[in-house]
Amino acid sequence: MAEPVLNIRNLSVNYFTPRGTVQALRCINLQVPPAKVVGLVGESGCGKSTLISAVIRLMAENARVAAGEIRFLGQDMHRLSSRDLQNIRGKDMSMVFQDPMTALNPVFTVGRQMKDIQYRDAVSRKEKLKRASDMLSLVGIPDAVSRLDNYPHHFSGGMRQRITIAMALLVQPKLLIADEPTTALDATLEVQIIRLLKELQTGFQCAILFISHHLNVIAELCDFVGVMYAGELVEKGSVRDIFHRPGHPYTRALLECDPSVIAEPTRFLPTIPGEIPSLIDLPAGCIFHDRCPRAAQVCKNTPPPEVSLAEHHTAACHCLEV
Amino acid sequence: MAPLLEVDHLRVRFKTKSAVKALIEKDDDPYIDGVMGVSFAIEPGQTYGLVGESGSGKTTVARAIMGLLPVHSGAIRFHGENLVGLSRDRIKPFRRDIALMFQDPAGSLSPRLKIRSILAEPFRIHDMMPENLSVEVARLLKMVNLSPSMGDLYPHQLSGGQARRVGVARALALSPKLIIADEPTAGLDVSVQGEILNLMAQLQNDMGLSFLIITHNLAVVRHVSDHVAIMYLGRFLEQGPTQTVFHRMRHPYTQALLSAHASPDPDAVHHRISISGEIPGLVSRPRGCEFHTRCPGVQEKCRRQFPDKAGAGKDHRYFCHYPLSVPEN
Repeated sequence: MAEPVLNIRNLSVNYFTPRGTVQALRCINLQVPPAKVVGLVGESGCGKSTLISAVIRLMAENARVAAGEIRFLGQDMHRLSSRDLQNIRGKDMSMVFQDPMTALNPVFTVGRQMKDIQYRDAVSRKEKLKRASDMLSLVGIPDAVSRLDNYPHHFSGGMRQRITIAMALLVQPKLLIADEPTTALDATLEVQIIRLLKELQTGFQCAILFISHHLNVIAELCDFVGVMYAGELVEKGSVRDIFHRPGHPYTRALLECDPSVIAEPTRFLPTIPGEIPSLIDLPAGCIFHDRCPRAAQVCKNTPPPEVSLAEHHTAACHCLEV
Repeated sequence: MAPLLEVDHLRVRFKTKSAVKALIEKDDDPYIDGVMGVSFAIEPGQTYGLVGESGSGKTTVARAIMGLLPVHSGAIRFHGENLVGLSRDRIKPFRRDIALMFQDPAGSLSPRLKIRSILAEPFRIHDMMPENLSVEVARLLKMVNLSPSMGDLYPHQLSGGQARRVGVARALALSPKLIIADEPTAGLDVSVQGEILNLMAQLQNDMGLSFLIITHNLAVVRHVSDHVAIMYLGRFLEQGPTQTVFHRMRHPYTQALLSAHASPDPDAVHHRISISGEIPGLVSRPRGCEFHTRCPGVQEKCRRQFPDKAGAGKDHRYFCHYPLSVPEN
């Protein structure tokens, strides 16, 4: 693999709360290669959003990086001064947020906001607005030039998400982080946005770190996938490895739960019994053992090793069927 | 069998401006149509699925059935009795038989009440206080597989799935015959989504409940409902038995909606029926067939005239000038 755009090594993040230290991320290793789409999938509370906030260094005040490092284009993100960070965010790294309704500033026109984010470039106002309208037509907003004068509330949800994607790509980032960009949208819009992201990614050749709890979207968009559970990256691999040859019992269970893969209509759907363990008092051994159908004695006592299943495909489990 | 609930040409309208403003602007029709004449029936013990994108009027139908919105015209018959136009006092006994599970599980539970008090509220409102409330609350919690000790918690102490279960328990409190579930799985993870749907199926088996499930998740509807209606801008564009609508659909919108689902197979070849754009607003309701602005097979006639209702076999209805041909099988 080429030198990764983003290289996360042994990252652990803790939250300090009155009830104790929440070990939200533990020993995460993840690489985002240039011009590839890496998907992170996992259920609520698995640490997806904590990971992103650590990457762009917008962590909550009570969060600390306990160990490890995040290297973006070779620089350690957590050693940069705030000025250096300013020069990275919104230039080499940009982000699309989950909720298109609140991501745009309601009191400025879309054109104004799209012009303002190009403040680094020494070109005329006219040129900036031209770029903005070109980008809007690229993301499929009809009548882009006149719509620059509209305020965010003039646009529907799907349109707003297109605008936030246009803004994120306007700066031609090396890495785009997309945090559940389709969760707030209807299915017909979801596929439109996915297709758009895929097209733009191919055109711009930027890397994307894509977060979702929706497996099918990940399958359609991503090249590599990481599966997270309770603060750990339990399995990672190419999209085909994960969906066709899942190794970790959690990944398998998650794939089986999806009602769209069950061909025959059934009243009773598969579930994963149990709950995510407390991240304050971590269980010994494997984090998934109390919900795992294959759990053996060793799983209760010893943390699982990271087992390589194929090139770039690893899973952290004692009981893999190899 | 006589249907439990029968909705007949239900129409709900919303006022868009005040009477004075309408007079000044010489607007003799200051209304928009939220629901435009939908008809369907739910048999006892069955599940009816209402599917559509945001803004299609699904929740409006539910609220009209619950009597939470004024009905413009049409009838809502429950056990043969028309609920439309009944006074508050007369409608109250029917409210016991129809329960609503609200869309936002955490938001629909009062943050200042303990779970125990939340579950006691339906009894209080209907003057049906059981002799031993704590036994009753424990029974309800047990029905939804929660431990009775949870009665002492506040809603913010629950997980999303648990809050949803409390919503189910509250709906069950007065032993209703019909439960209207508004997006019962929205915002839940796939593993928890199954738990809630299985719980609902279990209760249906045990108690003979009927469900009206409102959702935009087609994968869920395919499994849980007997009949399904595809809603668009306040109309049922297609309705019928779930298997028929999913496999022998006649309306292009149904086909587009079904093909708009991402597949969990990265190698899947998608035969997407592309529909562009978004659902138009109710204020700017298109003329003719409402779907013509996005329909891949639109023709001149569609822009002028709303199609008549057409039937294809038992209970299968659709509105389209140029319906799809039925696949051979």
